[in-house]
Amino acid sequence: MEPLTGMGVLALMGAAATIAGASEDLESDVGSQSNPNSQVQLAPQMMYPHRIYNKAVSGEPPSNALMCAIGGTTASVLMTTGASAALALAIGAIVAAAIHGTYSVTSYLGRSASQKRFKQPIYLDIIRSHTPVIMGYSFITTFCILVVSYLMVAVLAHPFPLPLLAFIWGITVGAIGSSTGDVHYGAEREFQAVEFGSGLNAANSGNIVRKAESGLRNGIDNSWFCAKFGGPVTGLAFGMTVFLSGWVTAVFDPSRGDAIGWVSVLAGVIIVLILILWNRNMEVAARAAFGTYKEDEAEAEVAA
Amino acid sequence: MIDIAGILMQNILYVILITLGGVLISWSVHFVPVGGAPAAMAQATGIGTGTVQLAAGAGLTGLVTAGAMMEITSSAALVIAAGAVGAMIMMAVTMIVGTWVYVYGVGCPPASAKVKYDPITKDRQDLYVSQGTEGHGLPTVSFVSGVIGGALGGIGGSLVYYALMSVENGLPLADLVGIASVFAVGIFFVNAVIPSYNIGGTIEGFHDPKFKRFPKAVLASLIATFFCALIGVLAIGGL
Repeated sequence: MEPLTGMGVLALMGAAATIAGASEDLESDVGSQSNPNSQVQLAPQMMYPHRIYNKAVSGEPPSNALMCAIGGTTASVLMTTGASAALALAIGAIVAAAIHGTYSVTSYLGRSASQKRFKQPIYLDIIRSHTPVIMGYSFITTFCILVVSYLMVAVLAHPFPLPLLAFIWGITVGAIGSSTGDVHYGAEREFQAVEFGSGLNAANSGNIVRKAESGLRNGIDNSWFCAKFGGPVTGLAFGMTVFLSGWVTAVFDPSRGDAIGWVSVLAGVIIVLILILWNRNMEVAARAAFGTYKEDEAEAEVAA
Repeated sequence: MIDIAGILMQNILYVILITLGGVLISWSVHFVPVGGAPAAMAQATGIGTGTVQLAAGAGLTGLVTAGAMMEITSSAALVIAAGAVGAMIMMAVTMIVGTWVYVYGVGCPPASAKVKYDPITKDRQDLYVSQGTEGHGLPTVSFVSGVIGGALGGIGGSLVYYALMSVENGLPLADLVGIASVFAVGIFFVNAVIPSYNIGGTIEGFHDPKFKRFPKAVLASLIATFFCALIGVLAIGGL
């Protein structure tokens, strides 16, 4: 393939992946999925009933992998019947979103009902208002991942079948979403009442913020906040993963010989080394800017 | 009738390679700094997700790059290196963006609670751990450990895939790729789950005392993957 065509396709894949990452994270914020949901689940038990959608169908990677595999399978079956790729991918994503919506509702009802003894109500208006938003985000995520997988199969001639690629990227987007954007939701948004600039003190567990900018806080308020930082950076992370892992072989094309293949490996290693140095740089800068949380005991004794 | 003994004897090298790949995956998971649910609340050092999830995310990204490489080269070393690079990139990107969120979104510096000084940078750690937490973020040692874990996981996953693809069989290429990649994903998950019993939710990397427990998981993976390898090789070789 022409290197320029390869780069163009890769750029398109990177853009689709960025949108997929952002919508995946926001979907998990509206519905409260993954690790920060442990606090939403704990809150009623600590006598803090709330109005936050509580779903956690499963860990984010398996739930996204399920969505994407369903979408990929539906799309691939439709394409064998002669449907156009755009239609097949859209219908696949709609089916996936509908199934995800079903899981979300049963999960919310089940989880909230099991907390009846802690006086946690089931809000029907929350189901009505949040479920379409969750399904909307999951449609965007699935559709974008299907676009990435389809481009890999159809244009880049990747040997894996479409549903399997969609499954793998679903696992990856879930892993990235729960590792990056969710921290913004779990460590910051849920505990905005405590002073900024520290991790959650174990003593505050379950004491999540339940009042919103106006009225009582719900999942949509959370996604509004996380859309300012957590969501976009998750998108960047997934976009970077898809783009960089393909970029090294698009620029140094291994089909021109094994030697160039090794150059592509070297390029990947150099990218990773740059990221290690960047992390170190941020670590030093953050420590200098924020300072320590406690005094060094040995130094304090000398000063006294 | 399938000649079971014959297929196994013919492909004994691939059974060994698959088992080796599984063991590498199991070992790699111990390197990956995961803080589980507490890390999502900046309550523990590491990435805020589960062991299996992150290791699988990285390893499977490696499998995608290894699969693409295997289409265009016959060099086993290059396929395995491509797998390692794909997994390393996924892991490094996830960790760097995780650091963005910890530093700029939550406002806490990376700090480890398991060691007083970072073994790589020699920086003091305990002073930067906020009250009531077990550390937060990704100090340099955890980041480097995560990259090593990603590389080993990618090597293991692509080794399994390469071995399965090399088993002699009568399948058309597209079907072989499908069945080999599904087996590779399955074997990856088996070996990502086994070490999580060792890790018990959180591990900071190779400097964490829990890391020393890896021989038990590696032995368990050796046995489990050996059986997976037998079934995988028989299934593909018998078709």
